[in-house]
Amino acid sequence: MRNFFRKSRLLFGLAPVLLSFSLLTAQTPSKKPETQQQGGVSTGAPATYTSRRTTGITDPNAPVLFEEVTTALANFHHRSGGAAKDYIFDTPSGGVAIFDYDGDGRPDIYLLNGSTLAALQGKEKPPRAALFHNLGNWKFEEVTDKAGVANERWGMGVAVGDYDNDGHPDMYVTNFGVSRLYHNNGNGTFTDVAEKLGVARRGWSTGASWGDYDGDGRLDLFVPGYVAIDLNKLPPSPSESSGQNFCQFRGVPVMCGPRGLPGEGDTLYHQKPDGTFEDVSVKAGVSDPQKYYGFSSAFVHVDDDKLLDLIVVNDSTPKQLYINKGNGTFEEIGYPSGIALNENGREQAGMGLAVGDYDNDGRVDFHITNFSDDSNVLYHNDGDTNFTDVTFQAGLGEVSIPFLGWGTSFVDYDNDGWLDLFVVNGHVYPQVDAHQWGTSYAQQALLFRNVNGKFERMGAPPGSALANAWPGRGLAVGDLDGDGRLDLVINNLDSTPVVLRNVAAATGHWLGLRLVGKAPRDAIGSVAFLTTGLTTGKLRQRQDVVSGAVYCSQNDMTLHFGLGAATKVDKLEIQWADGASEVFAVAGVDKVITITEGKGSRP
Amino acid sequence: MKPSKKRLITVLSVFVIAASISFTVLAQDTGAVLAGAELTKVVPTSYYFQGQSAPTQMRNAAAARFGTNRFVIAGMVDTSGYSAQVRARYQGFFITDSAITIGGESLAIGAYGFGFTNDGKLNILDLAGNQVLSVATTNDKELKRPRPLMMAMDGAGVRFYAGRDYVVIAAK
Repeated sequence: MRNFFRKSRLLFGLAPVLLSFSLLTAQTPSKKPETQQQGGVSTGAPATYTSRRTTGITDPNAPVLFEEVTTALANFHHRSGGAAKDYIFDTPSGGVAIFDYDGDGRPDIYLLNGSTLAALQGKEKPPRAALFHNLGNWKFEEVTDKAGVANERWGMGVAVGDYDNDGHPDMYVTNFGVSRLYHNNGNGTFTDVAEKLGVARRGWSTGASWGDYDGDGRLDLFVPGYVAIDLNKLPPSPSESSGQNFCQFRGVPVMCGPRGLPGEGDTLYHQKPDGTFEDVSVKAGVSDPQKYYGFSSAFVHVDDDKLLDLIVVNDSTPKQLYINKGNGTFEEIGYPSGIALNENGREQAGMGLAVGDYDNDGRVDFHITNFSDDSNVLYHNDGDTNFTDVTFQAGLGEVSIPFLGWGTSFVDYDNDGWLDLFVVNGHVYPQVDAHQWGTSYAQQALLFRNVNGKFERMGAPPGSALANAWPGRGLAVGDLDGDGRLDLVINNLDSTPVVLRNVAAATGHWLGLRLVGKAPRDAIGSVAFLTTGLTTGKLRQRQDVVSGAVYCSQNDMTLHFGLGAATKVDKLEIQWADGASEVFAVAGVDKVITITEGKGSRP
Repeated sequence: MKPSKKRLITVLSVFVIAASISFTVLAQDTGAVLAGAELTKVVPTSYYFQGQSAPTQMRNAAAARFGTNRFVIAGMVDTSGYSAQVRARYQGFFITDSAITIGGESLAIGAYGFGFTNDGKLNILDLAGNQVLSVATTNDKELKRPRPLMMAMDGAGVRFYAGRDYVVIAAK
């Protein structure tokens, strides 16, 4: 415990010195302050290290858990702004989705691309998003043109949801610009219906989430807004700086924002019976009038009252937790719940969001990634809408401090029945590579094994996939080869994506669940509780069907349960999104089964 | 009504009114932390310090009243426009319209800047950035939900918190 407080104290002392918008003149950037203030946003402190702590960390004794099988996607190259990263919109793209768009049973991959100012001005061809059809055996065919999902706007995120309940998953693609709703036509093609249906959000949209918050059987859509940018009045850039008017990170000129730039509010679209959407943000109480810098969101059951709640992760400002009151409105309880700040009352620069019950106590918890020189944060759900920051107790604190985290997801990679954690990292300032600040632009991903609710970082053997460093952003999880081990796809800034095949040797049994609800049909908002080991040591796991989260990305919605040594499921309970509860008998394990609402029995 | 009875009622009335005023003053003298409209009424929306003005983070502002109309007001500002050197020392403003003690040290009426440090100190700065006083802070490990900045009653004084660290402010 003493060690914990020492670490907490260390973290508490980190000062806000980045993402700044400096307008002062006659500074001496290289002078290091003698003491650091404690207040404000926890987003970095000057420090000098003799080595980088975010790349080249290997362990020759560690097992190979993932291997890179990127070849099939290697033709895709992400691009976002110039290499100098002069503006904030150059840095946070983009997301990735794993979902079975054609219903052939194999999950496919959709990768967002960024753009450039020249492309926005029509001076060059815009970068294109890409849809890869999974042919099996690690072969993928790019079908972007056929499907009509190239986007060709400054892509940020993707949230999957079958908004029209036709059995074909649709995609909401958020952009820095105008967002799109790609309706899945069911024949391998999509049509952008955003304008027609009233969800063509302008501005800078980020990590959206689908969910039926009002229980009418139709999916609604929440879209966070990030920073309000006027392309005709750009903030100062380090490349164009005269040396007297620039933003700084540790005394070095960098791109400006988000602090010092105006934020954007958030938008909740309610789906009407005719399939069009209306903006109910203000009426519902989720409009974010403070204009926090929104990055990630998820509709999820926080208090398990059968009403979908909503969490919003904001950059450099407090996080928001909206509790659904059941009358079309939400109550924001970020501060009293403990979600808004870390354990020391600090605002953090939130990026990505993992949703899952990591300690198998039946309640959903949250892991949130933050800026470098600050730890990521793990919030344990104590019940009654109370959360406790247990980052350091859980083993996720100190190790994450040098990393700038983006996509994060709970993933039981070894099928032992305990949710492990995978985190994608990468800095926003290319300038960090020119200094010994203990961090780097490209960074290794972090894999943590969950041992009864405590996390241990898994080592990376030299030359293995996890020993590589990437400028990571989006992350998606799914069993791409159907072998019962969860694989990963990472979308990297200005680079090729990475596909990580799970080759972990010592894995347990597993069960995959595809839920088919009455309405919403894709069962977003449903929760599965699976019990094993009634005779040998009971383990009751929870998995939620979630749209969005991670970081501007979408995990495959097939629920994946690791079963460890258990060879049978003792009980499977489904709490459907419409409030109904059913129990299903499960015959056998190590397979994916479809569970349809109304075909089970009452609990 | 007889004159004597009338006088008695008048005296009693005056006594009751005087007593109620005294009680009110006494009650107010114990201090109060402001919230809602009372708070926004006294917190400036931006603040000048060391060569420029910066907007107040209203979510991270707090104020306390001593007596009927004596206020101590503090708030974090968006320091992103300042140099790293200024940001390392300056978090926000600290205004008092009466003489107070802060961590046992006297502070005169005035408008100041402040900054908590990770070595357990609160520094009060004048508007040119010069240190006016420096006092040790106390760490409150039991605080349930710390905030970036807040005030809470502490007997006749007020605790001025940044996270879990605080100093006690009292009227002189």
